[in-house]
Amino acid sequence: MGNRLRVSANALLVMAAVLSVPAWVAAQTTSGAAGKAATNTAAKKTWVLPRTPDGQPDLQGYWTSLSFTPMERPAKYAGREFLTDEEAAQIHKEGIQHSYEFTFNDLAETPVYDATVYALSAWQEGVAPNRRTSLVVDPPDGKIPALTPAAAKVKEAARKAGPNQDYADPNAPVKADVAEDLNLGERCLSFGGPPILPGAYNSNFQIVQGPGYVMIEYEWNNEIRIIPFDGRPQLSQGIHRWHGNSRGHWEGNTLVVETSNFRPGATFQGANANTLKMTEYFTRTDQNTIEYKFTVDDPSTWTKPWSAIVPLSHMQGPIPEYDCSENNNDAVNILAGARATEKAAAEKAKNISQR
Amino acid sequence: MKVTVLSLCLVVFAPIVVRAQTTAQQPPARTASVAPKMPTPGEFPPYKAPRTADGKPDLNGIWQSFVTADISVQDHDAQPGPRPDIMGAYGAWPGGQGIVEGGEIPYKAEALAQKKANAEKRMVINITSDDRRHETGDPELKCYRPGIPRANYEPFPFQIVQSTDNIIMVYEFEHALRTIYMKEDKETPKDAPADSWMGWSHGHFEGDTLVVDSAGFVPWTWFDRAGDYHSDALHVVERYTLVSPYHIMYEATIEDPNVFTRPWKVSFPLYRRMEKNIQLVDFDCVEFVEKMLYGPYYKDPGK
Repeated sequence: MGNRLRVSANALLVMAAVLSVPAWVAAQTTSGAAGKAATNTAAKKTWVLPRTPDGQPDLQGYWTSLSFTPMERPAKYAGREFLTDEEAAQIHKEGIQHSYEFTFNDLAETPVYDATVYALSAWQEGVAPNRRTSLVVDPPDGKIPALTPAAAKVKEAARKAGPNQDYADPNAPVKADVAEDLNLGERCLSFGGPPILPGAYNSNFQIVQGPGYVMIEYEWNNEIRIIPFDGRPQLSQGIHRWHGNSRGHWEGNTLVVETSNFRPGATFQGANANTLKMTEYFTRTDQNTIEYKFTVDDPSTWTKPWSAIVPLSHMQGPIPEYDCSENNNDAVNILAGARATEKAAAEKAKNISQR
Repeated sequence: MKVTVLSLCLVVFAPIVVRAQTTAQQPPARTASVAPKMPTPGEFPPYKAPRTADGKPDLNGIWQSFVTADISVQDHDAQPGPRPDIMGAYGAWPGGQGIVEGGEIPYKAEALAQKKANAEKRMVINITSDDRRHETGDPELKCYRPGIPRANYEPFPFQIVQSTDNIIMVYEFEHALRTIYMKEDKETPKDAPADSWMGWSHGHFEGDTLVVDSAGFVPWTWFDRAGDYHSDALHVVERYTLVSPYHIMYEATIEDPNVFTRPWKVSFPLYRRMEKNIQLVDFDCVEFVEKMLYGPYYKDPGK
């Protein structure tokens, strides 16, 4: 443990050195804001949007949606869409450090993994600093619009009745009578999406383009979307899919993807599968970045449509096979654990009654 | 409109007029006859495959086999399948001719015994939270990734997504997927970085044939429901040859010195799915097997 942390600390020093290089180079090559602007313009001029052999804008490669930007704008940035470069750099640095040493969502803040074991470190994955204060860009306050009264009611009821799936309270009993009590990820059924969002780790995917379609493979569970843009009609409502069913088209150099036909119970933020429509916009803005915007429109869930921008950063490949159901120890251990808890409770009750 | 109809008539009738003329003058030469020939199964007339924009044979499309090799890669009779008392004809399995060249699989003696034991225990499921879960039971029954070459003859379609650097094969069964790397580099070295269910594959073209070389397999996939199996030394070389607009001739050479005395070969055609607007849909069988796999750990295992 001590050794592992020391290794991490050394690596962090290396990382800090790497991070400071661009700033140093920038300081040397430019002087002040005017110089910086000139450099940016020059870079924009020299970069040419790559195209596939059949002429599509080329979105191919390995990308990560890892980000340290919160979905909604924190109160302290109210009224501000963008951070200063210094603030962005600081958040980026802290985010990298956090993802390098710990898994997210670990309430006790105890080190669980040395991230390098799983190649989880953000700095290896090429994530770039983001100047936005929130991923949500519309509405302009950076907040997801209010739920409709009906959706709010459903959500509250589900929260009260639902199994303890977020394990927020380690002492609360886990409801795991049958596999269906586990969440979709634990069951290896779906890790969600669209939209493409930053996760704590494994926020990686591959884009491959064939003639007339684009394929997106997520690292999580190797889930796949194949998006035709040959003008074919959307499927009827007789077919539902874990990630919805997508149709694409190009608007200039932007790939626009419209998705519906979601499965009830497997939608983004519990939206209504019958009314949810998701539109995604993929625009390659430089060699290492795709600007990815999504618009969520579900009038039965939110009081108005809303949009967010997640920068996608180029990363090293490949995407490994993610065998999930083949070795699903979670399912076994959660179910067996629940049985063991019940058995222990029964024994205890028996002992008390015998006394 | 009139003009169109007239020219159409001309086009339609022209051959007859020409033919009437020639018949009047002399008997038609045999060589001039281009009457289509009835196809002979197993034979394809000479064919040059269309090319992608980057000049490679174009394999893009949705493909499916129609052999029954998923039940057994060798010749086999129809079978009632499990639980005929409730499943009737729904659960019965068709007979079919095998896909193994020469008919025999060259098992080592002890490996043949293992194959037979596998077949007997193909429905014995014992799920633990470690690798013992893989000791019995056909992985297909458990909805595990099918491996290669079985993924290509399961009764489900698969899509070939062809790009320059990578060719992806996406299988409808459990959305199993494999990437075939068309170049070797630091990101995609020749040797597998880790064992996997669908293997680690590199490809190249030889004429109209995509040749795929795969290794780095876990030892847990089977070739069929008859218990045919391999070890982690499995090495598969596949050849995908476009032989018509609608067919790929598929061939796989299977090598595994731990299990077989020599390499052996399977072959069969893949058919292009031609339904208008055909696409893959979801067959995520994981949700269909949970009760079977994890039932012993349920609160009420009988429920």
